[in-house]
Amino acid sequence: MTDANPEGMTRRQLMRHTAWFGAAVVLTVAGGEVISHVADTPDIAVDDPNALRFVQVSDSHLGFTGSANTMVERSFADAITQVNALPYRPDFVMHTGDLTHLSTAAQFDQVKQMMSGLNTGHVLTVPGEHDGVDDHGAKYRQFFGVGTAGGGWYSWNLKGVHFIALVNTLSLEKLGHLGADQLEFVRKDVAGLSSDTPIVVFSHIPLFAMYPKWGWATDDAVQALSYLRRFASVTCLNGHVHQLFTKTEGNVTFFSATTTAYPLPHPGDGPAPTPVTLPAGRLQSALGIREVGYVGGGQRLAIKDRRLA
Amino acid sequence: MRPPFALVMRIVAAACLAGSGYLHADLYLNGYRFIPTIGPAFLLQASGAFAVAVLLLISSSPVLRILAVGLACGALGGFLLSRTVGLFGFTERGFQPAPQSALSLGFEFAVLGLLAVPLVRDGFRMIVGRRVAAAG
Repeated sequence: MTDANPEGMTRRQLMRHTAWFGAAVVLTVAGGEVISHVADTPDIAVDDPNALRFVQVSDSHLGFTGSANTMVERSFADAITQVNALPYRPDFVMHTGDLTHLSTAAQFDQVKQMMSGLNTGHVLTVPGEHDGVDDHGAKYRQFFGVGTAGGGWYSWNLKGVHFIALVNTLSLEKLGHLGADQLEFVRKDVAGLSSDTPIVVFSHIPLFAMYPKWGWATDDAVQALSYLRRFASVTCLNGHVHQLFTKTEGNVTFFSATTTAYPLPHPGDGPAPTPVTLPAGRLQSALGIREVGYVGGGQRLAIKDRRLA
Repeated sequence: MRPPFALVMRIVAAACLAGSGYLHADLYLNGYRFIPTIGPAFLLQASGAFAVAVLLLISSSPVLRILAVGLACGALGGFLLSRTVGLFGFTERGFQPAPQSALSLGFEFAVLGLLAVPLVRDGFRMIVGRRVAAAG
């Protein structure tokens, strides 16, 4: 018996090729493990007094009654409990919009009362399009507009980071829209800042073109971002799309947050972004909160997305 | 191809493949890991590229060269789809993110030039050689 094959490779060659292929597979798996491990963002020391820590929650949709989540109030309460169980007290909690589903006064009252139970220094919000269904955000501003300019936008500094909260939902057609007044606000707001100041921008609708066909973009965001090009680090945090998504364009990194209410399809899955009803027991894994940390002197924010416990 | 020249070409190809892997790993770590399907694909491309690049330094096995060419073709195909019809619902514009996308394209075309062309030529020679032997 011979191991030679006159039409092809010998048995020895076959074994050698198999060995190299196996080695490539083993090294690929090992390399994947190493990279995944590196991707696990290190925790910011809980007792570091200079560290900035805040939490983003989004799209609670209080008042929603569909099959995708028949208890959105309970899910939002779970999210609040999860924030309060963190091993540190966040400097602030930002809700990036769609606090309510139909922007009724009762829904605003309920969400405001629930968020008053958050153990944090400040509770901050930006409106979603569901927060201005029939009044362009008038009721939203009654409940959450104190200290804001124009349609509800504002900015502040904390521990070396400059924060900007934008409103791109109250005069939208299909895409999000900031408008001339708000663009001028952004331009003036950052004009006096040094270029090494980390910038964090909050909005409801993404400031990048995540999926314009479904309205997941802001038509005049390029203008706003042009004022931020000179900064070393710009982080944009948004809601609206009910799923985690990230994109980097030059110095700007965009992070879409998930929801505490119900999932939406991935971009392009189906004709429209309608609520997705998951099989029993799987809803919690699609919902969550986001922890964000920053230690002075660094440029990048540490972002951890947590499933709803 | 003369052995020392072939060795240099293989080392350069391994370096280019590792460069492509590094850029994909960097993008994965800086946020792409959250993108459904695309994130794991970036992780696979990065770890696969590193693995094959290391093995290419040791051996010139055709299996490794085919894997390297496959990784480069996969990355280029993904780039093309994400700029045209979309890839698993994921789309990007032009050479964003910069400069990673342009650098990655350069590395992947270099891998193709350094490995795919000799691979095709060697395969062609092998087929011709067998036909000559069979006829003789």
